[in-house]
Amino acid sequence: MKQISVRQCGVLIVMCIFANKILLMPSLMYEQAKADSIFVLIVLFLLDLLLLPIFIKLKTTYPDKKLYDVLKDKLGVIITKIIYILMLLFFFFKCLLVFSITYVYFKQQIYQNEFIFIAFISFLPVINHAVVTGVRAFSRTIEMFYGIVLAGFIACLVISLFTPISNPVFFTSNGKMFFESLYNHVFSFGDFIFLFLIMDKIQIKKGQEKHLYTYSIIGMLLVITLFYLFYAKYQVTSFMHNNALADLLVFSVQFNAIGRLDIIAMITIMLITLFQMEIFNYAFCDCFLNIFPLLSKTYSVVVFDIIFAVLYYIFIGKYEIMVSSTMFWLPYLAIFINYILPIILLIIILLKRRRKHEKKTNKSNV
Amino acid sequence: MSYFDTNKKIKELKKALNESVDFAYRYYKKDGQTIAFVFLKSIIDANLFSSAVYYPLQTFEQKITIENLQNDILKCLDIKLIKEKDIIKEILDGKLIILTNFSKEIISVDLLKFPARIPSEPPTSPVIQGPREGFVEDLQTNVTLIRRRLKTENLVFEVLRVGSQTQTKVCITYIKGIANKKLVKEVTKKIKEIEIDGILDSYYVLSFLEERPNSLFKQIGNQEKPDIIVAKMLEGKVAIIVDNSPIVLTVPFIFIEDLQNSNDYYTNHIYSSFVRIIRIFGLLVATIAPGFYLALQIYHYNILPLNFLITIADTTQGLPFTPFLEILFIFLLFQILYEVSLRLPSYLGLATSVVGALILGDTGVKAGLISPPGVIIVALSKIALYTIPEQASQVTVLQLIFIILGGSLGLVGIVSGMVYIINYLNNFDSYGTPYLAPYSPRIPQDLKDAILVKPIKDFRYRPKSFSPQKKERL
Repeated sequence: MKQISVRQCGVLIVMCIFANKILLMPSLMYEQAKADSIFVLIVLFLLDLLLLPIFIKLKTTYPDKKLYDVLKDKLGVIITKIIYILMLLFFFFKCLLVFSITYVYFKQQIYQNEFIFIAFISFLPVINHAVVTGVRAFSRTIEMFYGIVLAGFIACLVISLFTPISNPVFFTSNGKMFFESLYNHVFSFGDFIFLFLIMDKIQIKKGQEKHLYTYSIIGMLLVITLFYLFYAKYQVTSFMHNNALADLLVFSVQFNAIGRLDIIAMITIMLITLFQMEIFNYAFCDCFLNIFPLLSKTYSVVVFDIIFAVLYYIFIGKYEIMVSSTMFWLPYLAIFINYILPIILLIIILLKRRRKHEKKTNKSNV
Repeated sequence: MSYFDTNKKIKELKKALNESVDFAYRYYKKDGQTIAFVFLKSIIDANLFSSAVYYPLQTFEQKITIENLQNDILKCLDIKLIKEKDIIKEILDGKLIILTNFSKEIISVDLLKFPARIPSEPPTSPVIQGPREGFVEDLQTNVTLIRRRLKTENLVFEVLRVGSQTQTKVCITYIKGIANKKLVKEVTKKIKEIEIDGILDSYYVLSFLEERPNSLFKQIGNQEKPDIIVAKMLEGKVAIIVDNSPIVLTVPFIFIEDLQNSNDYYTNHIYSSFVRIIRIFGLLVATIAPGFYLALQIYHYNILPLNFLITIADTTQGLPFTPFLEILFIFLLFQILYEVSLRLPSYLGLATSVVGALILGDTGVKAGLISPPGVIIVALSKIALYTIPEQASQVTVLQLIFIILGGSLGLVGIVSGMVYIINYLNNFDSYGTPYLAPYSPRIPQDLKDAILVKPIKDFRYRPKSFSPQKKERL
């Protein structure tokens, strides 16, 4: 079977962690929890990190099984299909959100009116091709670009240090603001669920589990640093700057002589967006194929493109609708997928282990 | 008892070979014994025939028997007994056929001699330091060149005949115990399955070995230097030598191989690393520079430093073409000049350069048809192309693709194009080896001879990418 290595899996995790958090989210969060958003971020990251041991346990309990088969065996076909429909929606909207936010960034920065055409032509064939070629091919691609993405991301963070910054003021929000922010942005987290979908395609050798934690922590620390530097640079005006990673580079006068350095952020954001969309599109297609097992992968890609284009046409220029829906009705979906589903899986693992333990005890008694 | 009516047999053979102009025969008769020699005089060493066959026969004083012929008269030559049905095949292979009226045995003597080139430095792989020998068109010479460098009993040469009309010898070469058995089996199977009337060069075989025949990207290694082929065989690869071709093929092939040059191993490893970085940079410049320039000029001009922007604005003012058409025009102009310079006789080469550089380039700029930055960018990308000449053909097509992407979609198009291509390359393996190894997937052990080169003493293990049977080099 064509499996991916732990390193490739780790790289996918980092891309998932960056998803939806590097452009608009810092300013949106600031509106609610001010600089304390960093603590909201840390709490959500810690909750995400809890998914990782569940994933590793599930993988070790069912090394070659697909998530669909595990759920089907324990919960039956109908409930499994319902769960997969919810996951399909979850990943579809995640993909749409990533695209919406990047669309606005590029439209503002470069392309003005013609960007929707450009974006569709540029992005969709690439992500479709990635999905059709499979997780092994696109995880290798992401692995190859990982260094460039990381270098670009870190360069943006470092260059921001050349402008005056001061520590953000913490503890200005109350508990209500804190928890509201936590709830509103839950949809942008829980990307580790993707790993559960491809669990049969990951090859984890004994002792390699810790690498998954390392990659996760690297990704999380980078995002936390981005939030910190963004708030340190823009302070109370943070809510006005919608493109955090790119905005970090603005006003770096020291670099004017070699031209504007937006290009670093631009290329980094393009790559991250493409890879995130590839991951979410793949997850969508995987769910789709499990719901409709008789259809082919190409079919699922076409369905994705059609729904994506139609929905995007409806939302065109109104990304606020998209963003507000992620804050109001999508958190319900996110809470189920991010937290309730892993708990169900944890129960399945514990039951399986208990049964195994009971069998062992019975055998030894005999 | 007479076994062969030699006259009749010769007539039959002449007819079978369509009374070919180079068909020849000689008789030697003594004491009622007749020995007939049949051969093609165009591919036989006539001197050897006289001195090593005819003269010893004349001076032989005893009664001639087949045993005498084999063990005494022709003992210094490469001889074998053949069946009657194989006579034609042997004659066509440059063998001398000996028929007698006193034995049913037929002797075939190898007297093949072609007009052959002496091994010299191949024009495509010149070196500053290191061996200068290159392969030639003769299979036997090429085998010798490899054998000279690999004095091991594990060196295997398997010869197959391919081509219904040409019956070309295709030799599969590998080191037993190092090359992966599965790989050898797969290559042999693919070559055996070739159905074609003629193999005129190794490129004919190459197209049958490619796993994705419709792909733009190179999938089979090709080399003209025996030292490189031996180095590749020591890594666990299989080489394919085709008679009448100086190009030897190797499988599996990975992208990084074209960045490696034999010079890299015969010079300081730090300098080699530097040169490889330059090659990668050259490859990038060659592929995306024109498209990137277009993207910046059309969509992202605000990113450019002000002085550079003013220069571009000054020089492009008043041009009749859009930036996209301008770059496309210059690109096509360069490509036409390149094609012309390849095919023109050398005495006309200078004239082409003058027409190309001065009349078309300089006058084009002065007439306001094209801009100097456009010419510089395309020229730069064309020069950079030859940092890796092996990739020239595919990169030229990629240049055009990126010009279209950069001109129509801007930077997003270029980045998407890059990701698409890398993803495409990641999806294909060359005989089980990932095409972009050792970077994608990352194979730390193989990074010693990737973009950065370690000293040769550190190459303790063979590249893991090629799954050799014996992992350690010693």
